[in-house]
Amino acid sequence: MSTPLILLPGDEVPSDYLPPTKSNPLKLGPGLRLLSQPTASSKSSNHVLTATQAGLLATDAKRNTVSLQSFSNRRYIPTTNDLVIAQIHHSSVDYFHCMVTPHTAHAMLGQLSFEGATKKTRPMLKQGDLVYARVLSVGVGAGAEVELTCVNPATGKAEPGGLGPLVGGMVFDVSTGMAARLLRASSPSAEKSDTVDGLVVLAELGKKLESLGGFEIAVGRNGKIWVDCSNAGESAVKVTVAIGQCLQSTDERNLDAADQKKLVTKILRGMKLA
Amino acid sequence: MATPAANAAPSVSPSLSLPPSQFARLQPHAYLLAHLSPPPASNQPSIRANGRAPSQFRVTSANAGSLTHTNGSAVVRIGDTTAVCGVRAEILHTDDIASWSVSSSSTSNSNKRRRLGEKTTDEDEGQDENEEDRAHIEDLNLLVPNLSLSTGCAPGFTPGAPPSALAQSLSHQILSLLHSTRLIRADDLRIWYQPPNLGSEALERHNESQQMEIDAGQGSEESDPQEIKAFWVLYIDVMIISLAGNPFDAAWAAVLAALRDTKLPKAWWDIDNETIICSDDISEASRLSLRGLPVASSFCVFEADAAAGWRAVVIPDVNDQKAQNQRKKGPQQKWILADPDGYEEGLSQERATLVVDKAKNGKNVILKMEKHGGWSVDTEDLRQLVEISGQRWDEMKRILDQC
Amino acid sequence: MVEPTASLSTLNRADGSASYKCPATGYDVLGSVNAPIELPARRDALKPEDATIEVFVKPGNTTAGVGERYVEGILRSVLTEVVLGRERGYPRRGVVITLAIVGGGSVERGDSYLTVLPALLHTSLLALLSASVPLAMTFSSALLGVTKSGDIVRDPSAADAKAASSLHVLAFSSKGHLLLNESEGCFDFDTWELIRERAVSICRGAAVSGTGEDVAMGERSNDARLDGFVRETVEDRLHVDYAWKIESN
Repeated sequence: MSTPLILLPGDEVPSDYLPPTKSNPLKLGPGLRLLSQPTASSKSSNHVLTATQAGLLATDAKRNTVSLQSFSNRRYIPTTNDLVIAQIHHSSVDYFHCMVTPHTAHAMLGQLSFEGATKKTRPMLKQGDLVYARVLSVGVGAGAEVELTCVNPATGKAEPGGLGPLVGGMVFDVSTGMAARLLRASSPSAEKSDTVDGLVVLAELGKKLESLGGFEIAVGRNGKIWVDCSNAGESAVKVTVAIGQCLQSTDERNLDAADQKKLVTKILRGMKLA
Repeated sequence: MATPAANAAPSVSPSLSLPPSQFARLQPHAYLLAHLSPPPASNQPSIRANGRAPSQFRVTSANAGSLTHTNGSAVVRIGDTTAVCGVRAEILHTDDIASWSVSSSSTSNSNKRRRLGEKTTDEDEGQDENEEDRAHIEDLNLLVPNLSLSTGCAPGFTPGAPPSALAQSLSHQILSLLHSTRLIRADDLRIWYQPPNLGSEALERHNESQQMEIDAGQGSEESDPQEIKAFWVLYIDVMIISLAGNPFDAAWAAVLAALRDTKLPKAWWDIDNETIICSDDISEASRLSLRGLPVASSFCVFEADAAAGWRAVVIPDVNDQKAQNQRKKGPQQKWILADPDGYEEGLSQERATLVVDKAKNGKNVILKMEKHGGWSVDTEDLRQLVEISGQRWDEMKRILDQC
Repeated sequence: MVEPTASLSTLNRADGSASYKCPATGYDVLGSVNAPIELPARRDALKPEDATIEVFVKPGNTTAGVGERYVEGILRSVLTEVVLGRERGYPRRGVVITLAIVGGGSVERGDSYLTVLPALLHTSLLALLSASVPLAMTFSSALLGVTKSGDIVRDPSAADAKAASSLHVLAFSSKGHLLLNESEGCFDFDTWELIRERAVSICRGAAVSGTGEDVAMGERSNDARLDGFVRETVEDRLHVDYAWKIESN
């Protein structure tokens, strides 16, 4: 891989940075757009990729994608198929009204959009309860409603696993960039190497806390992380807080792999957990 | 969609053509474009939908002194945009100015008063005088323009609403132009106290016109510490009573015409009554002596490509673009329209406003040049606009001189 | 010439923010951008196919007045050209830019707003970048004054600006287009052409202006260019945010 390339709006993506042309078309991620360059001579116009945001060019030769990674603290804008952690604000006859991001319109979560839910067995969620959900649709135009679901409508199963109400535990806020990193690091394709995106903090925590019963974690693209370690007995609260601190410090201080390990050791020792 | 013609005569096969007025409303951009770029075969000149050539201004008329209860007033009509301006003068005592100090006024002023007799000459004004003019007018806020877009001047203005952003922004533009052009001399706004001189001759003169007093000052400037006792504050109120595009040109022309019309009564400090006394003799009132005649001309840029914002095309580099334009003589891509009406303003983003004056040698002097809202106007266009504004200056001077 | 300083994403709650300080003129501006957001109160006034851009300028020590309205109008018309309001998620929504003049002299009633304009323009651009609002291009802006003796000075201080015979603010897009020109005072067109040439060399470096060899040496180095300054500010922030990625490669 070549040196990281930072683009500003209006900059063209140099063609040697793009993945080598294959039979399948190139997929564009956020922050880029395809412009045609009108040529005076002929009717055929050549196309140019330009950035619309400031960011770091990221290419994936395997999946033939190119995208622009912008600042990590940007606001979350719901996109279809994203996993988010939402909080119930109130419920109406057919829907739970959930908060995904502060100061925005509520997202809608169907009362029956849970695995195995029927009119009689649907979960009775109260105000303040948390759900791990997938963005089903984002609607069009102003005032469009974001719809969430905890079930794959095609199969009726909670896919990927873990969707549904989050019971117990605690939520920590991180930047959206960090949330995206955590999700990438935990995606199945990333399992080959444990230092994907420079994140070793979760692996390190898992190793150190195995003796205490491990922990459960859910990452929402909206910059929320839910942590639960009810198996840890009376030190459950301490472990939860320690994990949250580790993740938030890694995010805020942009720690590299070695520092993440140091941080985990330091925080766990400070809490008398290791 | 059915046209009125089709409704009226259903037996005739429905016509797909629209009357021009409907076409103008449904497809405003295409309508104006069709006027500006007639088919080459038809040999018609490029003309705007309102019948004007691109660089032609609307018919302008001005009438000064329309309002009797003001010190100066004017109505300026540019096409269907009409602005009324009234100037009211009020007295501001120096006692009422918190930051005023007597020493600052009397000493620094005495040395320059000798010039006042020949104050019509523009060039030989001293630097310090200019500075003090600025300080007095700007720091004491002696000019208070206000512009209101009255209810009914255009459909968008509802009664009781606070001043719109447009009105506020125009008020600021007028004020900042009054300041930056230094149109009004602070000397016209000063009210003096001339202490009675030792000689009886001077005592006599004390009650004569201020002009005389000034002349007398020439000989005896060392002996008599004249003192500023008050200022005239000019409240310049502009009301746009009909808005059909380009409010700034009309408002500024109205301000200019009203200020040219403004007469301030002779005023002096009466030591016995300790008050300012104004003469009610009209023959003693004096006009303001304005610096130059700055004339505003506004333009908008109409782009041929209505969907430019939608089309995802590479914005060419400015140098490439120039080369390209020279190479191909394609259809014209943009028109710069002088004095846009409301319809044209709605169809364009890019605006340019110039304020020019002419020096004695007939050379254009730019007092303000602004353009924003787009990227198509550059050096060459602006140079042209300065020329057009110069022609407009001649026209406006004629109109204002007649009124 | 002391270069301006800026930092991105200084505010936590806003979608994007930037602070910008220009030592030459003394202005210190803090800007925040929230986008895309719903503007429910004015739904009928929103453009159906484009984003609505709102700019608010807050002076440091008084309430906003007519001068602020005027400069807001200018900023809005410049930024509307730059923001891609038709990208997904933006039509019918609002891009709200709030600029607070935190430091530097206050602009009195009726004073020229030109001295602050470049700082406001740069702050809003950086804040828009920080909020990842899609933009068609970036720009840079310069303030120039012509003294009574005819010299062109860059970034005159408030006192110099008052004494200057004319003041000019020009903004150039990253492609070299003249996005904005605001000139006031007394000048002729030949002077303005000199001003424009000088502004191009300040904003975009001498090489672009075509007559590269004639321009003073001081502004030829790459880091003195203002568009370079914008780029560096962004790059610095991205290097911080992606330290884990850039270093691991």
